[in-house]
Amino acid sequence: MSTASPRSGGIFGWLDERYGISPLIEYMRHKEVPLGAHPMVWYYLGGMTLFFFVCQIITGVLLLMYYQPGETTSYESIHYIATKVPFGWLIRAIHCWSAHLMIMSLIVHMFSTMLLKAYRPPRELTWLTGFGLFGIALGFGFSGYLLPWNELSYFATSVGTDSVKSVPVIGHWMLLVMRGGEDVTINTLYRFFAGHVVILPLVCFGLISTHLLVIQRQGMAPPIHAGTSTHGMPFFPNFAMRDLLLWLICLTVLATLAWLMPYGPKLPGMEWELGAKANPLAPAYPGIKPEWYFLWIYQLLKEFPPNLMGMEGPQVCLLLVNVLMGSWALIPWLDRKAQRGKHSPTFTDVGFAVIYFLTFLTLKASDLGVAVTPTNDAATAIVASYCAWVTLGIAGVTTLTRFFLYRHRYFLLSAAVLTHIALHGLVGWSYLTVGAVTVVVTAIVLTVSGLTRSGAEGVES
Amino acid sequence: MDSLTDNTAKHTRRSFLDLLLGLGATGWLASVLYPVIRYLTPLPSAGPSGPVKLSGEQLKTLDKERFVIVPVQGKRILVFSDPAQNLRALDARCTHEGCTVQYVPGEAVIWCACHNGRYDLDGRVLSGPPPRPLPQYVARQDAEGGVVVTPQTA
Repeated sequence: MSTASPRSGGIFGWLDERYGISPLIEYMRHKEVPLGAHPMVWYYLGGMTLFFFVCQIITGVLLLMYYQPGETTSYESIHYIATKVPFGWLIRAIHCWSAHLMIMSLIVHMFSTMLLKAYRPPRELTWLTGFGLFGIALGFGFSGYLLPWNELSYFATSVGTDSVKSVPVIGHWMLLVMRGGEDVTINTLYRFFAGHVVILPLVCFGLISTHLLVIQRQGMAPPIHAGTSTHGMPFFPNFAMRDLLLWLICLTVLATLAWLMPYGPKLPGMEWELGAKANPLAPAYPGIKPEWYFLWIYQLLKEFPPNLMGMEGPQVCLLLVNVLMGSWALIPWLDRKAQRGKHSPTFTDVGFAVIYFLTFLTLKASDLGVAVTPTNDAATAIVASYCAWVTLGIAGVTTLTRFFLYRHRYFLLSAAVLTHIALHGLVGWSYLTVGAVTVVVTAIVLTVSGLTRSGAEGVES
Repeated sequence: MDSLTDNTAKHTRRSFLDLLLGLGATGWLASVLYPVIRYLTPLPSAGPSGPVKLSGEQLKTLDKERFVIVPVQGKRILVFSDPAQNLRALDARCTHEGCTVQYVPGEAVIWCACHNGRYDLDGRVLSGPPPRPLPQYVARQDAEGGVVVTPQTA
């Protein structure tokens, strides 16, 4: 292909002559980031997540230079990295901090995308690949957690993998394949290691490539009703330079956090002190918890009774989690109004309802520092009440902001979730019973009064 | 009419070849996947099949903590001495999410710290989310003063 213009010379001309890259450069030159009804801050979160992922690859490869998976080497090699290797503590601290910050920015990115309805056509595939990447990120967190082979990681993996057995028919086989045996042993660590450093990165690269490709092809989603606006900021160099500046800030924050708190902020589900080596023959110790982004599932598992609807409690619980996650993935197809480019206040409220639901469960799982032992059941009621107040406080502030600043008028679903939280946390009713009642009442209200229709006519996005 | 017959014949031939191709592809895929699935499925864990005698160290732990967790046939078994000083043995794997339970001598309960499940000393669920009781095993003192755990469910 000889499409190079006569003015092109040097390496660019050489490449252009062979691969015809001029049109690509031309395309990128005209690429714009839409400016409009909502703050630009939401456009930076994907790049920020990508930046933390790059930090994960670099520090991960560096950790691989010393890490040795094995019964007598996993724990010892991490200990060696953290105590003997020059700056080993820093590399490990950055790897851990960056992992948490990556999941945080990913979650904020996902919720901002959801609330701004950027998933609407033609960007369904962007949402779906993004959801896949969210799952991969959780997989990275879960598999990486076991690699130090310490007490905490051992039990977290026991619980996490045990839930797989709830899958009908092939559950037990899946459990065996994941663990490399009936129980969590060093064979489990070998499998998780292969997953963490080879399988997940390969899948992740594929998904990230698709995610970025469709974004580059379609551009970023403009706000609803601003689709035809020509008002935008050039991607190169304006937006790219801002992205770069943000990444520098992220790196500085990351390094500072790793330096000041090399073993994490010591919050529930957010600490990586090595502790004692895993001992499969030691009982689980009080206060054992998974990483913070799994806390809501951990708490939900606690709320379910032993048996429900002819099934075992954990099975029903994990079925519910899967239905919720599946519905989340299918939002672009469920939100019919956004599909037609209209405002969909119901789904905006779904987003906020999900945030309150997750906040309450995560707070309750953290126990707010109260240790749960066989004898202090009363403490759990106090914890539930504090968590309900905190969640209601957060909800109060966000609802007022939505009402006055964004003129939202549809609050039915978030109100249902908050009523559920208040009746459980403040009145002391069973989480599950009051949850079921709230779902039924909300469904009746939605059906009978046709609030969905009238609410959707409100002016909001 | 002839051309119609020809078309039908072609169609039938094409459908048959398509079916053959599909079967071939499925067979090929199965022959690739089967060894991989078998490779990933772990072999059953090997371990002593008869009664297991507690080691000196395990006996010391039992004496000090009032309970000890021992491996029997690839399973974790909780051996404990109840308030009446009788030896008992239960599967140590919580029936909720598979954490390792412990004996709480002060409360005379079996407790799982992961999700706050509680069992009585016979392994029956007292409170919390566990859906099933803990399977019972047999622990007895032998003639030489040692402790033997029998893997068969009592």
